[in-house]
Amino acid sequence: MPHTVKRVIEGGMYILPSLLLFSIFVFYPMIRTLYLSMHMTDFQGNPTTYVGFEHFVYLFEDRNFKESMKATFLFVIYTVPPTVIISLCLALLANEKLRGIQLFRTFFSSTLGMSVAASSVIWMFMYNPAVGVINKILIALGGEERQWLLNPDTALAAVAAATVWMNIGFAFLILLGGLQNIDSTLYESAEIIGMSRLYQLWRITLPLLSPTLFFVITVSLIHAFQTFGQIDILTKGGPMNTTTVLVYSIYREAFVNYNFGFASAQAIVLFFIVLIVTIVQFTFAERKVHYQ
Amino acid sequence: MKKWISTLLIASTLVGCNSGSDETVSKTNDQKDEEQQVQKTEVVFWHAMSGDLEKALNEIVADFNASQSTIEVKPVFQGTYEEALTKFNAVAGTKDSPTLMQTFEIGTKYMIESGKIEPVQKFIDEEGYDVSQWEKNIVNYYTVNGTIYSMPFNSSTPVLIYNKDAFKEAGLDPEKPPMTYSELKAAAKQLTKDGKYGFSILNYGWFFEQMLAVQGGLYVNEENGRKGEATEVAFNGKEGLRVFELIYDMYNEGTFYNVGQNWDDMRAAFQSGKMAMYLDSSAGVRTIVDSAPFQVGVSYLPIPDDVERQGVIIGGASLWLMKDVDEEKKKAAWEFMKYVTTPEVQAKWHVNTGYFAVNPSAYDLPIVKEQWEKYPQLMVTVNQLKETKATPATQGALISIFPQARQKIVSAMESLYQGVEPKEALERAANEINRELEMAKKR
Repeated sequence: MPHTVKRVIEGGMYILPSLLLFSIFVFYPMIRTLYLSMHMTDFQGNPTTYVGFEHFVYLFEDRNFKESMKATFLFVIYTVPPTVIISLCLALLANEKLRGIQLFRTFFSSTLGMSVAASSVIWMFMYNPAVGVINKILIALGGEERQWLLNPDTALAAVAAATVWMNIGFAFLILLGGLQNIDSTLYESAEIIGMSRLYQLWRITLPLLSPTLFFVITVSLIHAFQTFGQIDILTKGGPMNTTTVLVYSIYREAFVNYNFGFASAQAIVLFFIVLIVTIVQFTFAERKVHYQ
Repeated sequence: MKKWISTLLIASTLVGCNSGSDETVSKTNDQKDEEQQVQKTEVVFWHAMSGDLEKALNEIVADFNASQSTIEVKPVFQGTYEEALTKFNAVAGTKDSPTLMQTFEIGTKYMIESGKIEPVQKFIDEEGYDVSQWEKNIVNYYTVNGTIYSMPFNSSTPVLIYNKDAFKEAGLDPEKPPMTYSELKAAAKQLTKDGKYGFSILNYGWFFEQMLAVQGGLYVNEENGRKGEATEVAFNGKEGLRVFELIYDMYNEGTFYNVGQNWDDMRAAFQSGKMAMYLDSSAGVRTIVDSAPFQVGVSYLPIPDDVERQGVIIGGASLWLMKDVDEEKKKAAWEFMKYVTTPEVQAKWHVNTGYFAVNPSAYDLPIVKEQWEKYPQLMVTVNQLKETKATPATQGALISIFPQARQKIVSAMESLYQGVEPKEALERAANEINRELEMAKKR
């Protein structure tokens, strides 16, 4: 018996440093958020009166919250699949052993080196209705001038397109790393038995890449739910709240309107959404993942 | 040849000498500065002025620091008014708090309720400072329950800015800008052609507030929240509806250009000739006049036909003193505040920016007279304020949830471009803001 106690203490000592850090930076803020979500706060964010679940009840009646839920899910759909598919294609191309391929690998991963703020400003100029390059090209091709970021029909898609571009670098790099880890002798054997390239892709590359793909999809999803910078710079949540994703709505409630309680309630909702999506992913998608 | 070499030699020694002596001079200056800073009272001053406005502000601060030897004001740019307020929220009451902070007019109630500020009335009383020298409309705005809480500094009003060259081309008289809604609509129709539009308003709550006040419309009940705590909005009456209908009608007629929410985008669109008329703050007048490649006219805010002009609300910002800093620093900050409201400084500030002078005797100074000849547009902003009647409407609303209210108004304005009926858009905004007011009461 004393032996077990000793082992538990010993084990506890090993995890103590990380437990301490997690408590300060993750667990305490989470509990505090939950606490705040049941209170009204003053302008400094100090809780004043207990209101129970009133914030949550109002959230589900609030039209603006519905709009921002819709924007969030659309944004995820607009960004995650394109990011993964495009970067997978680029990674497959860049995995070929050709002369000068290093140059392309650098190009394709270069958006990783751009900050969100800097790239957003570049995209803002490209989308500008009067002087932006996108409208210039469109008009040269005989199209009509469009206000990409001011039209509720195109604003979210426009921000999503910019986001896909920003995220490709990271996803590409990880996927390329995954491809290079695949044992080349497998391809050699496949060549010998006369397997077509497409069949190789389906039977060898994708299964062996699946852990990496799974990782990229999970991370992209969480990223997409947490998008903030490009929204703040490109649209400020407008027009008509079509680009007010949850994180932006939380920011606005807390730091513009000083409704920390209401913002905390939204943060809790976001936490559960991300939690559920991640659990779903792990239970269903992970079955298809092949670990070597 | 020889001569050439010797000239070169002399020149190089001269240059050498010069740079050498420069170094010594700057060194001694640094030392002096250091010695002085030990005794100087430091006043950290947070502001939200960027671009040309920041340059003008830094000049004023430098002049003040040079004018005396006991106080050193340090201006620190903190982003937009909204961003600065967020940062203030984080440090208020700690030792990182600034001594002095510039906050926009709609933050007035918020600052008072924060409990972290010292009303300047205290110093006004102690010293018997004469506030009657200020513009009466400014005193009017910043007096809350008989107390002046902050020092007015940069005050602006909304104006109609238009492209005189485009007026000429369209066969309109460039000296006769539209004053009423029907004139505005007619002019915009004539100015709209080949992908160019007649008129535009930024999707920003301030313009709606102004277009409401100029008709005498109240924003919230309880006399705009000045008689008591506002409990309900009042902007959804006929005055507010007229503004929404104007935007809705003009947009549907194709004479109104939607510029979004960004001030820079709006000004860029005007300068590139995309629209010929738009509403702007008088603080932007000087920059626009200087940078537009055409003749720029400035005029009063248009009003609906058959409505008597009531005037405009003071926009802009004032300077707030923090409560939790040393008495000595407060005194130093008060000296600086008095300095920036002197006629001389306000005159310079007015002509360099387009903000009008808090102290009207500034307008009698030669520097203003001279600049008014060069920029007659600046005079318009001053006259518009002078003609303003002091009513609760033009005093402006006093509510703590102004940021939310503005977001809802912006959303409502945006929905007009999507074909939502003006009445419906206005009611939706009104309902949402009413709820915010109710929530705010529970705090």
